[in-house]
Amino acid sequence: MALMKEFKKGLWDVIPPFRLVLGLCPTLAVTTSAENGAGMGLATTFVLVCSNVLVSLLRKVIPSKVRIAAYIVIIASFVVVVELLMQAYVFALYQALGIFIPLIVVNCIILGRAEAFAGKNGVADSAADGLGIGVGYTISLFVLGGVREILGNGTFLGAHLLWSSYEPFTFMVRAPGAFVSLGVMLALINWISARLEARGRNAK
Amino acid sequence: MKDIIKMIVVLTLICVASGLILSAVYDVTKGPIEYARLKNVKEPAVKAVLSGYDNDPIKDRIQIPIGKDKKGKTVNLVVFPAKKGGKTFAVAFEGSGSGFGGKIGVMVGINLEKKDVTGISIVSHSETPGLGARIVEPQFTGSFKGKSLVKELTKEDINALSGATFSTKGTVAAVNQARALLDKYRDKMVQGG
Repeated sequence: MALMKEFKKGLWDVIPPFRLVLGLCPTLAVTTSAENGAGMGLATTFVLVCSNVLVSLLRKVIPSKVRIAAYIVIIASFVVVVELLMQAYVFALYQALGIFIPLIVVNCIILGRAEAFAGKNGVADSAADGLGIGVGYTISLFVLGGVREILGNGTFLGAHLLWSSYEPFTFMVRAPGAFVSLGVMLALINWISARLEARGRNAK
Repeated sequence: MKDIIKMIVVLTLICVASGLILSAVYDVTKGPIEYARLKNVKEPAVKAVLSGYDNDPIKDRIQIPIGKDKKGKTVNLVVFPAKKGGKTFAVAFEGSGSGFGGKIGVMVGINLEKKDVTGISIVSHSETPGLGARIVEPQFTGSFKGKSLVKELTKEDINALSGATFSTKGTVAAVNQARALLDKYRDKMVQGG
């Protein structure tokens, strides 16, 4: 049950781009379509789970003074593995994500989870934590990418969705649209959780 | 002192392990990456110049060393063979010629038996938009189709672009270079498959 808790918190309580407000750089840049968002999310999830497990395994061996350096080496290795694998087997996605694949190394979510969670907890818990946060991140990017793709391009996962006379709102797939949609979603999530909290208090 | 030694040892071990893992992954993915690159970058051009084959020209590609560059590295000519029933009947590879704005890279498909052009496709160029850049248009590239390469091609043989003499000449030169390469390495191109 404790594992479930570690997993579930990543889906709502600390869902990365909205609650932790970390990892915004790739969030803003790659969510021009739902597919890119999901691809980026999955790549990050893989790195996050692997690095969490390894950091947790080695947490007693790594001296605390060099822990950041050790974490970064571990994370960077997994990122290169992901980069090579993507290049070999999903080349089109690799080209679409471009520079943001190697930049996963400096994604604060991953180092943040290594430092805040995996460095202090057991392997199973850390894996669950990484998976939860990763899935939460993937969902966020997928939804954000989906919204931008539908409004900005009139398509969803490449398939035409809206009526044919719909004039794509190109603003949404450009950089400013990323900020606007992220802001709106942040506000929405804050509003929902405020409502939930109020209801919880009233129930008591 | 003991702490410092421990730090050094641990960090060194982590880095060594990471290096080993990465080199292993690199070895495994090297082949698939090269294939994926060619498939995405070159396949459209190969498809445009060859037809009627039942193999995968990207997978069956042949590398022929044709010289060395300035750093002494071997330069390979990558040849894409088109086969039917296991027999190579045509090949496609890149030739290049000087245009107005720089090198023009042309994928040339050649029928081996008749020695004529099955089609050409401009892979890279830096010609003037609206003038020289018209070399990518099918009206121009299509006029190479079926031209015999028994003799060198001249711009009289094809539908030369007015106002873009250099670009036309560059493309013709690229096809002629491909012709020269074919004469020189024909045996290797055929037996490679």
